[in-house]
Amino acid sequence: MVSFFKQKRQMKQRDAKKEDQGQSKTVDYIESSLSANMEIVKQKTGDSPDIIIRTLKISQDPEIKTTIVYVQGLIDNPSVTDFLIESIMKNPHLSEKILPQKALEVITEDVVSLGGVATVNDWEKLFLSLLSGDSIIFVDGINTALVASTKGGERRSIQEPSTHLTVRGSREGFTESNVTNIAMLRRIINSPDLWIESMKIGTVTKTDVSIMYINGIVKKEIVEEVKKRLKRINIDSILESGYIEQLIEDQVMTPFPTLNHTERPDMVAGNLLEGRVAIFVNGTPFVLVAPALFVQFFQSVEDYYNRFDIATATRFLRIIVFIISVVGPALYVAATTFHQEMIPTKLLVIVAAQRETVPLPAVIEALLMEITFEILREASLRMPKAVGSTMSIVGALVIGQAAVQAGIVSPAMVIIVSITAIASFATPSYSIAISARLVRFAFILCAGIIGFYGMILAFIILIVHLCSLRSFGVPYMSPLAPLNTQGLGDTFFRRPMWAFKERPKLISSKNNLKREGENQRPLPPESRGMKTSTERKGDGNES
Amino acid sequence: MEKAKISGYQLFVLIFLFEMGSALLVPLAGEGKQGAWLVILIAMIGGILLFFVYYALFQYYPNQILTEFVRSILGNFLGRIVAFLYILYFMYLAARVLRDFGETLLTVAYPHVPLFFANAAFILVVIYTVRKGIEVLARTSELFFVLENVLFLTFILLTIVSGMIHLNNLKPVLEINGVEMVKMAFSKTIFFPFGELIVFLMIFPYLNEPQRLKKIGVGGLALSGIFLSFTMAVNIAVLGVDLTLRSQYPLLTLIQSIEVAGFLERLDVYFLLKLMIGGFIKITVFTYVAVTGTANVFNVKQPSRLAYPVGFVILLVSIVIASSYSEHIQEGLSAVPVYIHLPFQVIIPLLLLIIAYFKNRKKSNKHQQHKTELKGGVEGK
Repeated sequence: MVSFFKQKRQMKQRDAKKEDQGQSKTVDYIESSLSANMEIVKQKTGDSPDIIIRTLKISQDPEIKTTIVYVQGLIDNPSVTDFLIESIMKNPHLSEKILPQKALEVITEDVVSLGGVATVNDWEKLFLSLLSGDSIIFVDGINTALVASTKGGERRSIQEPSTHLTVRGSREGFTESNVTNIAMLRRIINSPDLWIESMKIGTVTKTDVSIMYINGIVKKEIVEEVKKRLKRINIDSILESGYIEQLIEDQVMTPFPTLNHTERPDMVAGNLLEGRVAIFVNGTPFVLVAPALFVQFFQSVEDYYNRFDIATATRFLRIIVFIISVVGPALYVAATTFHQEMIPTKLLVIVAAQRETVPLPAVIEALLMEITFEILREASLRMPKAVGSTMSIVGALVIGQAAVQAGIVSPAMVIIVSITAIASFATPSYSIAISARLVRFAFILCAGIIGFYGMILAFIILIVHLCSLRSFGVPYMSPLAPLNTQGLGDTFFRRPMWAFKERPKLISSKNNLKREGENQRPLPPESRGMKTSTERKGDGNES
Repeated sequence: MEKAKISGYQLFVLIFLFEMGSALLVPLAGEGKQGAWLVILIAMIGGILLFFVYYALFQYYPNQILTEFVRSILGNFLGRIVAFLYILYFMYLAARVLRDFGETLLTVAYPHVPLFFANAAFILVVIYTVRKGIEVLARTSELFFVLENVLFLTFILLTIVSGMIHLNNLKPVLEINGVEMVKMAFSKTIFFPFGELIVFLMIFPYLNEPQRLKKIGVGGLALSGIFLSFTMAVNIAVLGVDLTLRSQYPLLTLIQSIEVAGFLERLDVYFLLKLMIGGFIKITVFTYVAVTGTANVFNVKQPSRLAYPVGFVILLVSIVIASSYSEHIQEGLSAVPVYIHLPFQVIIPLLLLIIAYFKNRKKSNKHQQHKTELKGGVEGK
């Protein structure tokens, strides 16, 4: 109750603050005096040492003071030293006599040899450029400043992605820089229809967020919806695409992800070509893709690179894996506690013999082991790598072997939990694997209370819940429910490449569904078919 | 009425699962002996005739659910009473089906679990679904339709593989003569499960392609009738007439006797799953209809709020409805068809149809007269 009121008060305060900001938000323009400007820069940035202010003198009689301001580390060092400072100091145009009013013009037109140069006269824009890596040139006596694009600095280079690994396919993964990421997509899709829109989100962090889609393939309503939801966001910071994901998803109360994220450019490209929208967030290699469907989380880019029969088999395997990772332990609990008659006699004898010494009921045993496993998993994720080997020894020996020998858990349970654990790692998407883990506990509890009846009820609720979800207005279970026979070809099955006639109906724009031409099915050369009498000598049929 | 639309395929699937619901459970048309499957087919034809009555009613009021058009036909006061009676009827049926499933569950697998607990767990799932609305229910049933059919196919396959089908058990087909069969079909089997289609008068207006309704309804009834008839025939072919009639749940007895390769045996869970999917759809449809009907009659703005109270009433009714299972079954076999199903499924709809016919004829007559007067005798059509 207390916290509720507190929250309300905070909200009130926030509203009040907002009003304050709204009132004082008049545009501050740059002064014409250089020293005054420098004072403002210093005062606004708290005289931080990484803001470099370099003053130069140009022209003769009178000498004009010029100042270059930039942020150390954010700029590309060679371009600032070679193309900015050096060219200003050594340029013949500037050693002549020039009027102070014309100095800026001269610098823009004749001196600075950089690509992006613009003038700016209000402080807010100026600081935005300065803090994103541009250099600012002030000239004494002029109330406009020059922004030279010198973005650079240390960044992670393009590396192989650490999630969504594939045997076959591109080795490139996204980096933390939006510019690089967008360029990677441009390299894959060389079409002017690849449209990008940018915005800044986060009142403090002012994070660069870009949405990307292919005009003509994407559904207009979905783009509008994405934009509307992004514009609604009013938060101080965006540190990862997860922030955005949680602020724009359709339904909050669900363990299932309704937005997909990936580190692979080829996966984003494939999704864009199906009419989806990608959301790039600066500072993270994970790009969001919307709308996301349930079946999508069981698909990997490699499915499309492999031949269709193999891909289909793999997808079925993944479904089995998902089912195991959700109901594995629950099945064991239900069978041993309530439905012993289900187990073949020989197996039952073995299991019963093992369970004889175990002091705990099966459901407690299962929960205990599952939680132990989750602890192990979490610990091995967060621990420094050097301690990792200790972890595996403790995990395998102490918990695995000793617990069984001590008779606290039965070996069968250890096997079940291990299989479930491996199964949950075999799901291609990490986010759906986490959901499966959460749902698994619910299933274990239901099975422990009332056996298969509880499990079936939990299963019904799960299906109803999945069917009730939507991602950006698209039913989550489509194309299974509502059924779309054309779309079924890319769910648990993967139709052959030559039969991919259409894009998904509910996602792509309706008037551009066609994907490939007619008769794409490869045919053997006619002469290689069953031989007929029309063949002639010398046409390669002799063999 | 909810703001929702369902597709023709979804309605078809919903009708199919609804009809299959609890009818799989009991020895349907058991008195037909070797000809039980024939009785079911005859009843199915009767069901289709009944469907045409409902369809005709729907044609008069294509945008109104049952509780709404009853008021249009009978006037506000009388209409409200009849609508309320229908709501009670739907709730009673939901409670009956819930009781059926609870009892079956206790008999089959959980003798020590209290009936109240089993029913309460089930009704909570139903309430959750009802709150999500008809669209979600329709999408769910699409998935369950696939599952149900996969289960059905494996069941047939396993039965054949384990070599239990003796076609001789089905002879002589006409041990009971044809007239008796028709009598049987039209006095019992037609009401349960085919006549229960009347609840769909509360769902038809959601259909996004009303012109296909006739095909969808007949198709759904026919497919479910054929499935039910086939299941009963397999039951009798495997177990023989005697055992089928004597066992409480012939399908369970059948499934329990499946034994393949010394490994696939005792497939009770499979029976449980099949049973619960059908039962779930049936109870949910009844509850949903009761909720929207109540909201409609009493002008409740948010129908989903009624899901809990209506659900709890159904739960309580399902407990107090009978003191034992045999009493419950006896009521279901002797009293319910005559005193409850017959008026609600046949008599009232027929009366409504007749009144609607005269009312609309008068209206259209007036309308036509008006038209002719206006156009000076030039007929538009």
